[in-house]
Amino acid sequence: MSSLAGAPVRVEHLTWRPFGRRAPVLDDVDLRIGAGERVLLVGPSGSGKSTLLRALGGLLLTADSGDLTGVVTIDGRDPQSVAGLVGLVLQDPGSGVVATSVGRDVAFGLENLGLPRDAMTGPVSRALREVHLDVPVGAPPSSLSGGEQQRLALAGALALGPRVLLLDEPLAMLDAETAATMRAVVSEVVAARGLTLVVVEHRLGPWLPHVDRLVVLGAGGRPVADGAPYDVLARQGDDLTSAGIWVPGRAEPEPIRLEIPWDSAVVATGEAVVTAQDVTVRHRSRSLATRIRETVAVRDVTLAVPAGRLTALVGPSGAGKSSLLGAVGGLLEPAAGTVTWAPELALPDQTPPHRLAPVDLARRVAWVPQRAASTLIARTVDDEVLTTARAVALDPGVARARADVLLDRLGLAHLTSADPRQLSGGEQRRLALAAAVVHQPALLLTDEPTVGQDRHTWAAVMGVVGSLRASGSAVLVTTHDAGVVARADAVHTLAAPAHRTEPPTATAVPLVARAGPLSLLAAALLVLPLPALLHSWQQALVVVAAELVLGATVLAAPGPGTRPRGRGRSVLRRLVAPTVGALGVGWSTWLLGGHDVAVAVGATLRIVTLTLPSVVVLPYVDPDALSDHLAQRLLLPARPVVAFSAALGRFQSFGALWAELALARRVRGVGGGRSPAARARDVGGTTFGLFVGVLGAAAVLALAMDARGFAGADRRTWAGAAPWRRADTVAVLLGLVPAAVAAAAGAAGTLGTVLG
Amino acid sequence: MSTTDTNDTSDAGVGNTDKTGGPRSPRTTAGPGPDNRGGPPLALRASGALLRWRTIDLLTCAFLGVAFGVAYWAWSLAYQPPSTALATVFPPLQGITAAPWLMAGVVGGLVIRRPGAALFCELIAAVVEALVGNVWGLSTLWSGLLQGAGAELAFLILGYASFGVGAAVLAGALSAPFEAVYEWYAYWTDWGMAYKVVYLLILTASGAVVAGGVGWLLTRGLARAGALGAFPPGQEQREARAV
Repeated sequence: MSSLAGAPVRVEHLTWRPFGRRAPVLDDVDLRIGAGERVLLVGPSGSGKSTLLRALGGLLLTADSGDLTGVVTIDGRDPQSVAGLVGLVLQDPGSGVVATSVGRDVAFGLENLGLPRDAMTGPVSRALREVHLDVPVGAPPSSLSGGEQQRLALAGALALGPRVLLLDEPLAMLDAETAATMRAVVSEVVAARGLTLVVVEHRLGPWLPHVDRLVVLGAGGRPVADGAPYDVLARQGDDLTSAGIWVPGRAEPEPIRLEIPWDSAVVATGEAVVTAQDVTVRHRSRSLATRIRETVAVRDVTLAVPAGRLTALVGPSGAGKSSLLGAVGGLLEPAAGTVTWAPELALPDQTPPHRLAPVDLARRVAWVPQRAASTLIARTVDDEVLTTARAVALDPGVARARADVLLDRLGLAHLTSADPRQLSGGEQRRLALAAAVVHQPALLLTDEPTVGQDRHTWAAVMGVVGSLRASGSAVLVTTHDAGVVARADAVHTLAAPAHRTEPPTATAVPLVARAGPLSLLAAALLVLPLPALLHSWQQALVVVAAELVLGATVLAAPGPGTRPRGRGRSVLRRLVAPTVGALGVGWSTWLLGGHDVAVAVGATLRIVTLTLPSVVVLPYVDPDALSDHLAQRLLLPARPVVAFSAALGRFQSFGALWAELALARRVRGVGGGRSPAARARDVGGTTFGLFVGVLGAAAVLALAMDARGFAGADRRTWAGAAPWRRADTVAVLLGLVPAAVAAAAGAAGTLGTVLG
Repeated sequence: MSTTDTNDTSDAGVGNTDKTGGPRSPRTTAGPGPDNRGGPPLALRASGALLRWRTIDLLTCAFLGVAFGVAYWAWSLAYQPPSTALATVFPPLQGITAAPWLMAGVVGGLVIRRPGAALFCELIAAVVEALVGNVWGLSTLWSGLLQGAGAELAFLILGYASFGVGAAVLAGALSAPFEAVYEWYAYWTDWGMAYKVVYLLILTASGAVVAGGVGWLLTRGLARAGALGAFPPGQEQREARAV
């Protein structure tokens, strides 16, 4: 085999104690993996599987801090000594995406190596071919499905020629069919390249034919079983099952029985709690430069959710399950169709579900999203469980009784005074579920509740769901877990919406879009000296007129193709805020400047001259090209520019996170107060949640980027070119026009006063 | 509960000599890496060599900047009514509603604790705010640069060694003057000099209180929430409340 063959892995006396834990997560771990061996790493929740995987990649200190001793070597070397020696694919599709096009994302590792631009296309297309990803290289990663995004992550790792491949629960978020495809691709790639493979996975069965060795971890990350997969399972199947591992061939776990003092149900069993009729849901995504794209998430779906029953929504990812969940529960407003509550739950004035006040909504609906951490609001676990119960004014004794049973049976009783955000992912999910059911909502919506759970926690989660169902509430679950579907009373399948491929019509490009981002920014910044040149309102008015003419000129789109729509509307919309700001400045100037209207008008117009160019130009600054230009033209340091560009690319997801957090507060009955204090608390809480989520995303991305050699990539190359064209020079020259007009108007004014 | 309170004040002390080792300082980044090899605990300083930005530092700074940019864009829409109300009473009071914009640099510096962190964070927040489409357009970039430079100056004066409440307040205060002078020239051109000076003083004071105080509280809250595991604020918090 060539030098790209798999490398042996050695772990010796590895001990890792992150700050904040009293006991080490990895305690004196020893492990040897031979070259080209394919290992499946399993263990109950909390056994340190993912942590050990990160240790194999040398990534423990990338996003965390603590006491680390011991040695990990890949073929005798430190894992981070060679860029891309170890390839890593993480659990969450899209969490490791760095660029805004598929090809660019795969080329990220090659950029870090310093390959010349022309040498990148070969390895990129080879990697994409190996993972069977047939999408155009310019496609944005956000348009790919979950399975495609995982294959993209794999291609990005493969482009660097790794010798060890680490997969951290890569299939957890995928449905069965997509998971099978991904597994086959991984198998093929590993076989073709002879790589060493280490996979962490909860559901063992499907992986067994593809691996040579099964390692079971126990407490402290130490292997308690190690050997050929079928041997280990045959010998220790019972022990492993009782430890919570999903041993194939065993019976499905039984949901636990919970003795919770529920009240009697409001809606009779079998009657629909909520009915969605011909509902269509549109999804608006807004990227940085106000390109608002609308896609149809759900089209003309009719669904009735009966009380006392478990209804499952299944379908491939991208089929709109989460959107339908939101529409049915009154979390989103459907673009078409109606959503009606049962008569016992409807409000007297027939308010549609999406307009309900938070407390009314909380009484009826509880929501546990896929990102369960989004719903966590309180400071301690105990407060968290009781938040919604307090908001809907449930009897404290009843609430306490229910909460105690839930916390105890869900394994959270020892954490009652801990901060919810310090919990592990699985614990947070169980906490969110407990907090959602204490007040006995008429409808429970959960999005993928059993992802990443071992047998025991699966049984606990399904036990809670079953208990609530038995009490007479309706439960609507989106899932791709066969065990959950088997227990559902009704299954509703959503097909993926047909992609309407519109034939690409050639649209003409406005003149302003032909200039690169740097020249546009320079042109818009050249107006900064204007306040020094403008002395009267007449002068400012002339400059504003000049800028309007200039703006209209550069927004024109001559040439072949259809005219782009909405340019004028977009400018007007973007002008609202600056105009209000300018009027504000004029107002304070009038107040302080001796109530002189002329001076105030001059101040207002001056601000308009400052802001008008930005309004015209900024929508056409391409954030991706911007970072290329900043690094290659302005020679700014490479790594900060990449970090900047990666952060800009996440803008849309941050907006979505904000919306989810605000929605979660509303569903939990918290927030929506009218007083300024209540509003401030709402906004403060949501903003804080946004920051926590954003920082978590940064930590995950740091892992993915360091695994592709970013840590040492001070001298890196760029896959995108940064040309300076004639249009750029013209743009900068045009940027000088307002200042020139101001100077000329000033001179003409002085001349007029002198002569007149 | 009382033990955690004393831990907090000891963590936040500006004059705390934990640099050379105190009973509570955790060892940072001990292990295979070019960093602290069993040397004196560096609880308050940045993790690792001061000038060597790790990937997590860059990404956290950039992501914090984008998060602030989003929040700032929202604030730039919402601040008009209170600002106009204050302006009607006494125009230089608008410095109060302008104070939140000074926070990004303070928080960036407090979290990352490296040269350039305050500037980088504030600059990115300004870029995002401008690109989304705020009131001031690209002059926001210039404002961000000035505010970030001011906060950076504060941390520089303290030698990048002190990051408690005092440092936060100083950074918040120092990010105001450059911005105020720019605004004299760009927005409040027609005011009398006396009013301009009052505006600068008000902006500096609210910068100290709002940007410094709230910024410090935000950093501590984020550390408590476990979001700053790779950074000194998070390390201090987590060791104090080990699970």
